[in-house]
Amino acid sequence: MVTVLEMPETPSQLTVNQPAPTPNLEVERGIIEIDSVDFAYGTNKVLHDISLNIPPRSVTAFIGPSGCGKTTLLRCLNRMNDHIDGAGITRGSIKIEGLDINAPHLDVVDLRRRVGMVFQKSNPFPKSIYDNVAYGLRIAGISKRNLIDEAVEKSLRSAALWDEVKDRLHVSGYGLSGGQQQRLCIARALAVEPEIVLMDEPCSALDPIATAKVEELIRQLKEQYTIVIVTHNMQQAGRCSDVTAFFYLGRLIEFDRTTKIFSNPAQRQTEEYITGRFG
Amino acid sequence: MIAPKHILGTFDEALATLRNNVLMMSSLTERSLERAITGLLQRDDELCAIAIADDEEIDQLEKQVDKDGIDLLLRFQPVASDLRRVVSAMKLSSNLERMADQGTNIARRARKLNQHPALPETELIRPMYLHAMTMFKDSIDAFIREDVQLARSVIPRDQGLDDMNSSASRRLIERMAEDPTQLRGYLNLIFISRCLERVGDHATNMAEDAVYAAAAEDIRHQHLVPAE
Repeated sequence: MVTVLEMPETPSQLTVNQPAPTPNLEVERGIIEIDSVDFAYGTNKVLHDISLNIPPRSVTAFIGPSGCGKTTLLRCLNRMNDHIDGAGITRGSIKIEGLDINAPHLDVVDLRRRVGMVFQKSNPFPKSIYDNVAYGLRIAGISKRNLIDEAVEKSLRSAALWDEVKDRLHVSGYGLSGGQQQRLCIARALAVEPEIVLMDEPCSALDPIATAKVEELIRQLKEQYTIVIVTHNMQQAGRCSDVTAFFYLGRLIEFDRTTKIFSNPAQRQTEEYITGRFG
Repeated sequence: MIAPKHILGTFDEALATLRNNVLMMSSLTERSLERAITGLLQRDDELCAIAIADDEEIDQLEKQVDKDGIDLLLRFQPVASDLRRVVSAMKLSSNLERMADQGTNIARRARKLNQHPALPETELIRPMYLHAMTMFKDSIDAFIREDVQLARSVIPRDQGLDDMNSSASRRLIERMAEDPTQLRGYLNLIFISRCLERVGDHATNMAEDAVYAAAAEDIRHQHLVPAE
Protein backbone atom coordinates (compact mmCIF):
# COMPACT_ATOMS: atom_id res chain seq x y z
CA MET A 1 0.00 0.00 0.00
CA VAL A 2 1.20 3.50 -0.76
CA THR A 3 0.58 5.54 2.32
CA VAL A 4 -0.94 8.91 1.82
CA LEU A 5 2.33 10.67 2.63
CA GLU A 6 3.80 9.18 -0.52
CA MET A 7 1.04 10.42 -2.74
CA PRO A 8 2.22 13.04 -5.23
CA GLU A 9 0.84 16.52 -4.64
CA THR A 10 -0.95 16.97 -7.92
CA PRO A 11 -3.73 19.41 -8.57
CA SER A 12 -7.10 17.79 -8.95
CA GLN A 13 -10.44 18.89 -10.22
CA LEU A 14 -13.28 19.39 -7.78
CA THR A 15 -15.57 16.42 -7.84
CA VAL A 16 -18.89 16.07 -6.18
CA ASN A 17 -19.94 13.42 -3.70
CA GLN A 18 -17.79 10.59 -4.95
CA PRO A 19 -16.76 7.75 -2.67
CA ALA A 20 -13.89 8.53 -0.32
CA PRO A 21 -10.58 8.36 -2.17
CA THR A 22 -8.85 5.83 0.02
CA PRO A 23 -5.19 6.36 -0.80
CA ASN A 24 -3.91 3.72 -3.05
CA LEU A 25 -1.58 1.40 -1.64
CA GLU A 26 1.29 -1.02 -1.85
CA VAL A 27 4.71 0.52 -1.26
CA GLU A 28 4.60 0.72 2.50
CA ARG A 29 1.92 -0.52 4.85
CA GLY A 30 0.26 1.83 7.24
CA ILE A 31 1.11 1.05 10.85
CA ILE A 32 -2.64 0.94 11.38
CA GLU A 33 -4.66 -0.69 8.61
CA ILE A 34 -8.39 -0.19 8.85
CA ASP A 35 -10.18 -2.34 6.33
CA SER A 36 -13.90 -2.09 5.50
CA VAL A 37 -14.92 -1.51 9.11
CA ASP A 38 -18.57 -1.27 10.16
CA PHE A 39 -19.33 -0.45 13.79
CA ALA A 40 -22.63 -0.49 15.64
CA TYR A 41 -23.95 0.46 19.06
CA GLY A 42 -26.53 -2.33 19.33
CA THR A 43 -28.63 -1.97 16.20
CA ASN A 44 -27.44 1.54 15.54
CA LYS A 45 -24.76 1.35 12.88
CA VAL A 46 -22.48 4.35 13.22
CA LEU A 47 -19.49 3.51 11.03
CA HIS A 48 -19.92 2.37 7.47
CA ASP A 49 -17.23 0.64 5.46
CA ILE A 50 -14.27 2.61 6.76
CA SER A 51 -10.95 1.83 5.10
CA LEU A 52 -7.78 3.80 5.69
CA ASN A 53 -4.12 3.30 6.37
CA ILE A 54 -2.49 5.43 8.99
CA PRO A 55 1.13 6.17 8.18
CA PRO A 56 3.76 5.52 10.86
CA ARG A 57 5.58 8.31 12.71
CA SER A 58 3.22 10.97 11.57
CA VAL A 59 0.20 12.82 12.87
CA THR A 60 -3.18 11.82 11.48
CA ALA A 61 -6.14 14.06 12.26
CA PHE A 62 -9.75 12.86 12.27
CA ILE A 63 -12.14 15.73 11.62
CA GLY A 64 -15.87 15.97 11.07
CA PRO A 65 -19.04 17.26 12.69
CA SER A 66 -20.27 15.86 16.01
CA GLY A 67 -21.70 12.39 15.64
CA CYS A 68 -19.75 11.57 12.49
CA GLY A 69 -18.00 8.62 14.13
CA LYS A 70 -14.47 9.93 14.45
CA THR A 71 -14.17 9.31 18.19
CA THR A 72 -15.80 5.90 17.84
CA LEU A 73 -13.20 4.96 15.24
CA LEU A 74 -10.39 6.33 17.41
CA ARG A 75 -11.61 4.24 20.34
CA CYS A 76 -11.68 1.17 18.11
CA LEU A 77 -7.92 1.48 17.71
CA ASN A 78 -7.23 0.35 21.28
CA ARG A 79 -10.55 -1.39 21.86
CA MET A 80 -11.85 1.18 24.30
CA ASN A 81 -15.34 0.41 22.98
CA ASP A 82 -15.14 -3.07 24.56
CA HIS A 83 -16.47 -1.46 27.72
CA ILE A 84 -19.76 -0.48 26.08
CA ASP A 85 -22.39 -3.21 26.10
CA GLY A 86 -23.64 -4.22 22.69
CA ALA A 87 -21.11 -2.05 20.90
CA GLY A 88 -18.60 -3.47 18.48
CA ILE A 89 -17.19 -3.90 15.04
CA THR A 90 -19.67 -5.84 12.91
CA ARG A 91 -17.55 -6.16 9.78
CA GLY A 92 -14.02 -5.57 8.61
CA SER A 93 -10.73 -5.59 10.45
CA ILE A 94 -8.21 -3.34 12.12
CA LYS A 95 -4.59 -4.39 12.05
CA ILE A 96 -1.71 -2.80 13.87
CA GLU A 97 1.62 -3.76 12.36
CA GLY A 98 -0.18 -6.60 10.65
CA LEU A 99 -1.79 -7.96 13.82
CA ASP A 100 -5.59 -8.13 13.95
CA ILE A 101 -6.44 -6.30 17.16
CA ASN A 102 -9.86 -7.93 17.38
CA ALA A 103 -8.50 -11.48 17.23
CA PRO A 104 -10.17 -13.63 19.94
CA HIS A 105 -7.15 -14.29 22.14
CA LEU A 106 -5.46 -10.93 21.81
CA ASP A 107 -4.11 -9.50 25.07
CA VAL A 108 -6.09 -6.24 25.33
CA VAL A 109 -3.91 -4.91 28.16
CA ASP A 110 -0.85 -5.33 25.97
CA LEU A 111 -2.69 -3.67 23.08
CA ARG A 112 -3.45 -0.67 25.26
CA ARG A 113 0.18 -0.49 26.31
CA ARG A 114 1.14 -0.31 22.66
CA VAL A 115 -1.67 2.09 21.81
CA GLY A 116 -1.85 4.80 24.47
CA MET A 117 -4.64 7.30 24.81
CA VAL A 118 -5.05 10.89 25.93
CA PHE A 119 -8.55 12.14 26.58
CA GLN A 120 -10.43 15.37 26.06
CA LYS A 121 -10.38 16.28 29.73
CA SER A 122 -7.15 15.73 31.58
CA ASN A 123 -7.69 12.89 34.04
CA PRO A 124 -4.68 12.50 36.32
CA PHE A 125 -5.03 9.92 39.08
CA PRO A 126 -5.40 11.27 42.63
CA LYS A 127 -1.73 10.59 43.19
CA SER A 128 1.55 12.42 43.03
CA ILE A 129 2.99 13.55 39.71
CA TYR A 130 5.61 10.82 40.03
CA ASP A 131 3.09 8.10 40.80
CA ASN A 132 0.85 9.16 37.94
CA VAL A 133 3.66 8.55 35.46
CA ALA A 134 4.94 5.44 37.26
CA TYR A 135 1.49 3.83 37.45
CA GLY A 136 1.58 2.07 34.09
CA LEU A 137 5.06 0.74 34.74
CA ARG A 138 4.11 -0.65 38.13
CA ILE A 139 1.07 -2.48 36.82
CA ALA A 140 3.28 -3.85 34.07
CA GLY A 141 5.32 -5.46 36.86
CA ILE A 142 8.30 -3.14 36.94
CA SER A 143 9.35 -2.57 40.52
CA LYS A 144 13.01 -1.53 40.36
CA ARG A 145 13.14 2.00 41.68
CA ASN A 146 15.97 3.16 39.41
CA LEU A 147 14.18 1.90 36.28
CA ILE A 148 11.00 3.70 37.29
CA ASP A 149 12.90 6.90 38.15
CA GLU A 150 14.51 6.82 34.75
CA ALA A 151 11.25 6.21 32.91
CA VAL A 152 9.41 8.93 34.85
CA GLU A 153 12.06 11.52 34.02
CA LYS A 154 12.23 10.44 30.38
CA SER A 155 8.45 10.56 29.99
CA LEU A 156 8.10 13.92 31.69
CA ARG A 157 10.88 15.30 29.48
CA SER A 158 9.19 13.88 26.39
CA ALA A 159 5.95 15.54 27.48
CA ALA A 160 7.83 18.85 27.91
CA LEU A 161 6.83 18.95 31.57
CA TRP A 162 10.04 17.95 33.38
CA ASP A 163 11.43 21.45 33.88
CA GLU A 164 8.14 22.61 35.36
CA VAL A 165 7.68 19.76 37.85
CA LYS A 166 11.11 18.29 38.60
CA ASP A 167 11.21 19.96 42.04
CA ARG A 168 7.76 18.81 43.10
CA LEU A 169 7.43 15.30 41.75
CA HIS A 170 5.78 14.08 44.91
CA VAL A 171 3.00 16.62 45.13
CA SER A 172 -0.46 15.77 43.83
CA GLY A 173 -1.06 15.87 40.08
CA TYR A 174 -4.22 17.81 40.87
CA GLY A 175 -2.05 20.80 41.85
CA LEU A 176 -0.99 21.35 38.23
CA SER A 177 -2.70 23.72 35.82
CA GLY A 178 -5.06 22.31 33.19
CA GLY A 179 -2.39 22.41 30.48
CA GLN A 180 0.17 20.80 32.79
CA GLN A 181 -2.32 18.11 33.79
CA GLN A 182 -2.90 17.29 30.13
CA ARG A 183 0.84 17.03 29.53
CA LEU A 184 1.07 14.85 32.66
CA CYS A 185 -1.50 12.54 31.09
CA ILE A 186 0.58 12.50 27.90
CA ALA A 187 3.68 11.65 30.01
CA ARG A 188 1.69 8.85 31.69
CA ALA A 189 0.74 7.49 28.27
CA LEU A 190 4.36 7.69 27.06
CA ALA A 191 5.83 5.99 30.16
CA VAL A 192 4.87 2.51 28.97
CA GLU A 193 6.56 3.21 25.61
CA PRO A 194 3.61 2.89 23.27
CA GLU A 195 4.02 2.86 19.50
CA ILE A 196 0.83 4.78 18.89
CA VAL A 197 -0.75 7.60 20.87
CA LEU A 198 -4.45 8.35 20.38
CA MET A 199 -5.61 11.82 21.36
CA ASP A 200 -9.28 12.64 21.68
CA GLU A 201 -9.60 16.43 21.49
CA PRO A 202 -6.60 16.85 23.79
CA CYS A 203 -6.70 20.66 23.77
CA SER A 204 -10.41 21.38 23.90
CA ALA A 205 -10.26 22.41 27.56
CA LEU A 206 -6.98 24.32 27.31
CA ASP A 207 -6.15 27.99 26.82
CA PRO A 208 -4.22 29.05 23.68
CA ILE A 209 -0.81 28.95 25.37
CA ALA A 210 -1.34 25.48 26.86
CA THR A 211 -2.76 24.40 23.49
CA ALA A 212 0.35 25.67 21.70
CA LYS A 213 2.55 23.72 24.12
CA VAL A 214 0.61 20.51 23.51
CA GLU A 215 0.73 21.11 19.76
CA GLU A 216 4.48 21.66 19.88
CA LEU A 217 4.74 18.48 21.92
CA ILE A 218 2.75 16.59 19.28
CA ARG A 219 5.19 17.84 16.64
CA GLN A 220 8.13 16.52 18.65
CA LEU A 221 6.46 13.23 19.52
CA LYS A 222 5.82 12.25 15.94
CA GLU A 223 9.55 11.65 15.52
CA GLN A 224 9.07 8.57 17.68
CA TYR A 225 5.37 7.81 17.79
CA THR A 226 2.41 7.49 15.48
CA ILE A 227 -0.21 9.95 16.60
CA VAL A 228 -3.90 9.95 15.78
CA ILE A 229 -5.79 13.01 16.96
CA VAL A 230 -9.49 13.77 16.94
CA THR A 231 -10.12 17.49 16.87
CA HIS A 232 -12.93 19.91 16.25
CA ASN A 233 -10.42 22.69 15.85
CA MET A 234 -9.77 22.94 12.14
CA GLN A 235 -6.81 25.25 12.56
CA GLN A 236 -5.30 22.76 14.96
CA ALA A 237 -5.71 19.94 12.45
CA GLY A 238 -4.09 22.19 9.86
CA ARG A 239 -1.17 23.08 12.13
CA CYS A 240 -0.45 19.70 13.70
CA SER A 241 -1.25 16.92 11.31
CA ASP A 242 0.42 15.45 8.26
CA VAL A 243 -2.68 13.70 6.98
CA THR A 244 -6.33 14.33 7.66
CA ALA A 245 -9.40 12.15 7.42
CA PHE A 246 -12.79 13.83 7.11
CA PHE A 247 -15.81 11.85 8.31
CA TYR A 248 -19.48 12.56 7.84
CA LEU A 249 -22.45 10.49 9.00
CA GLY A 250 -20.24 7.53 9.80
CA ARG A 251 -18.49 7.49 6.45
CA LEU A 252 -14.97 8.43 5.48
CA ILE A 253 -15.46 11.18 2.95
CA GLU A 254 -11.86 12.09 2.24
CA PHE A 255 -8.41 11.08 3.43
CA ASP A 256 -5.41 12.94 2.13
CA ARG A 257 -2.44 15.11 3.01
CA THR A 258 -3.49 17.87 5.36
CA THR A 259 -2.12 20.55 3.02
CA LYS A 260 -4.26 19.14 0.23
CA ILE A 261 -7.39 18.84 2.39
CA PHE A 262 -7.10 22.44 3.58
CA SER A 263 -6.06 23.98 0.26
CA ASN A 264 -7.95 22.02 -2.34
CA PRO A 265 -10.08 19.16 -1.04
CA ALA A 266 -11.30 16.74 -3.67
CA GLN A 267 -14.76 16.26 -2.18
CA ARG A 268 -17.41 18.92 -2.09
CA GLN A 269 -18.59 17.86 1.38
CA THR A 270 -15.06 18.32 2.75
CA GLU A 271 -14.81 21.75 1.17
CA GLU A 272 -18.16 22.80 2.59
CA TYR A 273 -17.29 21.53 6.06
CA ILE A 274 -13.85 23.10 6.37
CA THR A 275 -14.97 26.41 4.91
CA GLY A 276 -18.00 26.61 7.20
CA ARG A 277 -20.70 26.08 4.60
CA PHE A 278 -22.10 22.91 6.04
CA GLY A 279 -25.57 21.84 6.99
CA MET B 1 -18.87 27.30 -9.00
CA ILE B 2 -20.95 29.54 -6.79
CA ALA B 3 -20.27 28.53 -3.20
CA PRO B 4 -23.21 27.97 -0.87
CA LYS B 5 -23.68 30.49 1.91
CA HIS B 6 -21.22 30.53 4.76
CA ILE B 7 -22.61 29.77 8.22
CA LEU B 8 -21.16 33.13 9.25
CA GLY B 9 -22.99 35.80 7.28
CA THR B 10 -20.25 38.26 8.23
CA PHE B 11 -17.72 36.18 6.31
CA ASP B 12 -19.78 36.30 3.12
CA GLU B 13 -20.23 40.05 3.59
CA ALA B 14 -16.51 40.59 4.12
CA LEU B 15 -15.62 38.52 1.07
CA ALA B 16 -18.22 40.35 -1.04
CA THR B 17 -16.81 43.71 0.05
CA LEU B 18 -13.30 42.58 -0.87
CA ARG B 19 -14.40 41.39 -4.29
CA ASN B 20 -16.49 44.51 -4.92
CA ASN B 21 -13.50 46.72 -4.19
CA VAL B 22 -11.40 44.69 -6.62
CA LEU B 23 -14.16 45.08 -9.21
CA MET B 24 -14.25 48.81 -8.54
CA MET B 25 -10.47 48.99 -9.01
CA SER B 26 -10.80 47.11 -12.25
CA SER B 27 -13.46 49.52 -13.58
CA LEU B 28 -11.40 52.55 -12.61
CA THR B 29 -8.26 51.06 -14.12
CA GLU B 30 -10.07 50.29 -17.36
CA ARG B 31 -11.45 53.85 -17.46
CA SER B 32 -8.06 55.34 -16.70
CA LEU B 33 -6.35 53.42 -19.50
CA GLU B 34 -9.16 54.32 -21.87
CA ARG B 35 -8.83 58.01 -21.03
CA ALA B 36 -5.05 57.93 -21.40
CA ILE B 37 -5.22 56.29 -24.82
CA THR B 38 -8.06 58.53 -25.99
CA GLY B 39 -6.05 61.50 -24.76
CA LEU B 40 -3.20 60.25 -26.95
CA LEU B 41 -5.19 59.40 -30.05
CA GLN B 42 -7.43 62.47 -29.90
CA ARG B 43 -4.64 64.73 -28.59
CA ASP B 44 -6.76 65.70 -25.60
CA ASP B 45 -4.66 67.05 -22.70
CA GLU B 46 -7.70 67.33 -20.46
CA LEU B 47 -8.39 63.59 -20.67
CA CYS B 48 -4.72 62.89 -19.99
CA ALA B 49 -4.86 65.05 -16.86
CA ILE B 50 -7.99 63.22 -15.65
CA ALA B 51 -6.32 59.85 -16.28
CA ILE B 52 -3.34 60.94 -14.17
CA ALA B 53 -5.64 62.19 -11.38
CA ASP B 54 -7.61 58.88 -11.42
CA ASP B 55 -4.58 57.06 -10.12
CA GLU B 56 -4.96 58.38 -6.59
CA GLU B 57 -8.33 56.67 -6.09
CA ILE B 58 -6.96 53.38 -7.42
CA ASP B 59 -3.98 53.61 -5.05
CA GLN B 60 -6.34 54.14 -2.12
CA LEU B 61 -8.47 51.18 -3.18
CA GLU B 62 -5.38 48.99 -3.35
CA LYS B 63 -4.63 49.86 0.27
CA GLN B 64 -8.25 49.22 1.20
CA VAL B 65 -8.24 45.78 -0.47
CA ASP B 66 -5.03 44.87 1.37
CA LYS B 67 -6.49 46.01 4.67
CA ASP B 68 -9.77 44.17 4.12
CA GLY B 69 -7.91 41.05 3.00
CA ILE B 70 -5.66 41.04 6.07
CA ASP B 71 -8.68 41.65 8.34
CA LEU B 72 -10.51 38.78 6.71
CA LEU B 73 -7.55 36.41 7.13
CA LEU B 74 -7.17 37.51 10.73
CA ARG B 75 -10.82 37.22 11.72
CA PHE B 76 -11.95 34.15 9.83
CA GLN B 77 -8.80 32.15 8.98
CA PRO B 78 -10.35 30.96 5.73
CA VAL B 79 -9.20 27.72 4.12
CA ALA B 80 -9.49 25.97 0.75
CA SER B 81 -11.42 27.94 -1.89
CA ASP B 82 -12.15 30.77 0.56
CA LEU B 83 -8.43 31.25 1.22
CA ARG B 84 -7.65 31.16 -2.48
CA ARG B 85 -10.35 33.75 -3.18
CA VAL B 86 -8.94 36.14 -0.59
CA VAL B 87 -5.30 35.71 -1.62
CA SER B 88 -6.15 36.02 -5.31
CA ALA B 89 -8.21 39.16 -4.73
CA MET B 90 -5.23 40.75 -2.96
CA LYS B 91 -2.86 39.75 -5.75
CA LEU B 92 -5.30 40.98 -8.37
CA SER B 93 -5.50 44.36 -6.68
CA SER B 94 -1.71 44.68 -6.78
CA ASN B 95 -1.69 43.93 -10.51
CA LEU B 96 -4.54 46.38 -11.12
CA GLU B 97 -2.66 49.14 -9.33
CA ARG B 98 0.42 48.55 -11.48
CA MET B 99 -1.74 48.45 -14.56
CA ALA B 100 -3.24 51.79 -13.58
CA ASP B 101 0.31 53.14 -13.16
CA GLN B 102 0.92 52.22 -16.80
CA GLY B 103 -2.19 54.29 -17.63
CA THR B 104 -0.63 57.25 -15.82
CA ASN B 105 2.66 56.76 -17.65
CA ILE B 106 0.83 56.67 -20.98
CA ALA B 107 -1.09 59.84 -20.13
CA ARG B 108 2.12 61.68 -19.18
CA ARG B 109 3.84 60.65 -22.42
CA ALA B 110 0.70 61.57 -24.38
CA ARG B 111 0.74 65.10 -22.94
CA LYS B 112 4.33 65.49 -24.11
CA LEU B 113 3.43 64.19 -27.57
CA ASN B 114 0.48 66.56 -27.75
CA GLN B 115 2.85 69.53 -27.53
CA HIS B 116 4.25 68.66 -30.98
CA PRO B 117 2.74 67.97 -34.39
CA ALA B 118 0.86 64.69 -34.65
CA LEU B 119 2.87 61.63 -35.66
CA PRO B 120 1.09 59.22 -38.01
CA GLU B 121 2.87 56.34 -36.22
CA THR B 122 0.68 57.01 -33.19
CA GLU B 123 -1.83 54.73 -34.91
CA LEU B 124 0.50 51.81 -34.18
CA ILE B 125 -0.68 52.09 -30.59
CA ARG B 126 -4.39 51.55 -31.24
CA PRO B 127 -4.35 47.79 -32.07
CA MET B 128 -2.01 47.16 -29.16
CA TYR B 129 -4.39 48.93 -26.80
CA LEU B 130 -7.37 46.95 -28.09
CA HIS B 131 -5.46 43.68 -27.74
CA ALA B 132 -4.28 44.51 -24.19
CA MET B 133 -7.74 45.59 -23.07
CA THR B 134 -9.34 42.37 -24.33
CA MET B 135 -6.82 40.41 -22.29
CA PHE B 136 -7.50 42.64 -19.29
CA LYS B 137 -11.29 42.33 -19.45
CA ASP B 138 -11.18 38.57 -20.02
CA SER B 139 -8.88 38.03 -17.04
CA ILE B 140 -11.21 40.03 -14.78
CA ASP B 141 -14.27 38.20 -16.14
CA ALA B 142 -12.52 34.89 -15.56
CA PHE B 143 -11.75 35.85 -11.96
CA ILE B 144 -15.27 37.01 -11.19
CA ARG B 145 -17.03 34.08 -12.86
CA GLU B 146 -14.34 31.59 -11.78
CA ASP B 147 -14.06 30.56 -15.40
CA VAL B 148 -10.85 28.54 -15.66
CA GLN B 149 -11.13 28.04 -19.41
CA LEU B 150 -11.43 31.76 -20.12
CA ALA B 151 -8.53 32.50 -17.77
CA ARG B 152 -6.32 29.96 -19.51
CA SER B 153 -7.22 31.44 -22.90
CA VAL B 154 -5.73 34.80 -21.87
CA ILE B 155 -2.20 33.51 -21.26
CA PRO B 156 -1.09 32.59 -24.82
CA ARG B 157 -2.48 35.89 -26.10
CA ASP B 158 0.32 37.77 -24.35
CA GLN B 159 2.78 36.61 -27.02
CA GLY B 160 0.72 38.43 -29.67
CA LEU B 161 1.04 41.66 -27.68
CA ASP B 162 4.77 41.13 -27.21
CA ASP B 163 5.14 40.69 -30.97
CA MET B 164 3.14 43.85 -31.65
CA ASN B 165 5.37 45.76 -29.23
CA SER B 166 8.56 44.47 -30.89
CA SER B 167 7.27 45.29 -34.32
CA ALA B 168 6.11 48.79 -33.29
CA SER B 169 9.44 49.47 -31.57
CA ARG B 170 11.36 48.39 -34.69
CA ARG B 171 9.24 50.63 -36.87
CA LEU B 172 9.65 53.59 -34.50
CA ILE B 173 13.44 53.15 -34.28
CA GLU B 174 13.56 53.15 -38.08
CA ARG B 175 11.58 56.38 -38.11
CA MET B 176 13.95 57.91 -35.55
CA ALA B 177 16.83 57.28 -37.95
CA GLU B 178 14.85 58.67 -40.89
CA ASP B 179 13.59 61.76 -39.06
CA PRO B 180 15.81 62.67 -36.10
CA THR B 181 13.92 65.94 -35.54
CA GLN B 182 11.02 63.88 -34.11
CA LEU B 183 13.29 61.71 -32.01
CA ARG B 184 11.63 62.59 -28.69
CA GLY B 185 8.17 61.92 -30.10
CA TYR B 186 9.14 58.47 -31.38
CA LEU B 187 10.83 57.72 -28.10
CA ASN B 188 7.60 58.59 -26.25
CA LEU B 189 5.65 56.25 -28.54
CA ILE B 190 8.15 53.46 -27.81
CA PHE B 191 7.54 54.03 -24.09
CA ILE B 192 3.77 53.93 -24.58
CA SER B 193 4.05 50.74 -26.58
CA ARG B 194 6.09 49.21 -23.77
CA CYS B 195 3.49 50.35 -21.21
CA LEU B 196 0.79 48.46 -23.12
CA GLU B 197 3.03 45.43 -23.30
CA ARG B 198 3.26 45.64 -19.49
CA VAL B 199 -0.54 45.90 -19.25
CA GLY B 200 -0.66 42.57 -21.09
CA ASP B 201 1.82 41.08 -18.60
CA HIS B 202 -0.37 42.17 -15.68
CA ALA B 203 -3.47 40.76 -17.40
CA THR B 204 -1.59 37.47 -17.75
CA ASN B 205 -0.72 37.53 -14.04
CA MET B 206 -4.37 38.15 -13.20
CA ALA B 207 -5.49 35.28 -15.43
CA GLU B 208 -3.01 33.02 -13.65
CA ASP B 209 -4.42 34.15 -10.31
CA ALA B 210 -7.95 33.48 -11.59
CA VAL B 211 -6.95 29.89 -12.43
CA TYR B 212 -5.46 29.49 -8.96
CA ALA B 213 -8.57 30.89 -7.28
CA ALA B 214 -10.95 28.63 -9.18
CA ALA B 215 -8.95 25.43 -9.64
CA ALA B 216 -6.16 25.60 -7.03
CA GLU B 217 -3.63 25.18 -9.80
CA ASP B 218 -0.48 27.27 -10.01
CA ILE B 219 0.22 27.77 -13.71
CA ARG B 220 2.83 30.51 -13.33
CA HIS B 221 6.27 30.20 -14.89
CA GLN B 222 5.51 26.90 -16.50
CA HIS B 223 7.83 27.64 -19.39
CA LEU B 224 10.70 27.64 -16.87
CA VAL B 225 10.08 24.08 -15.74
CA PRO B 226 12.48 21.78 -17.60
CA ALA B 227 10.78 18.96 -19.45
CA GLU B 228 11.28 15.55 -17.87
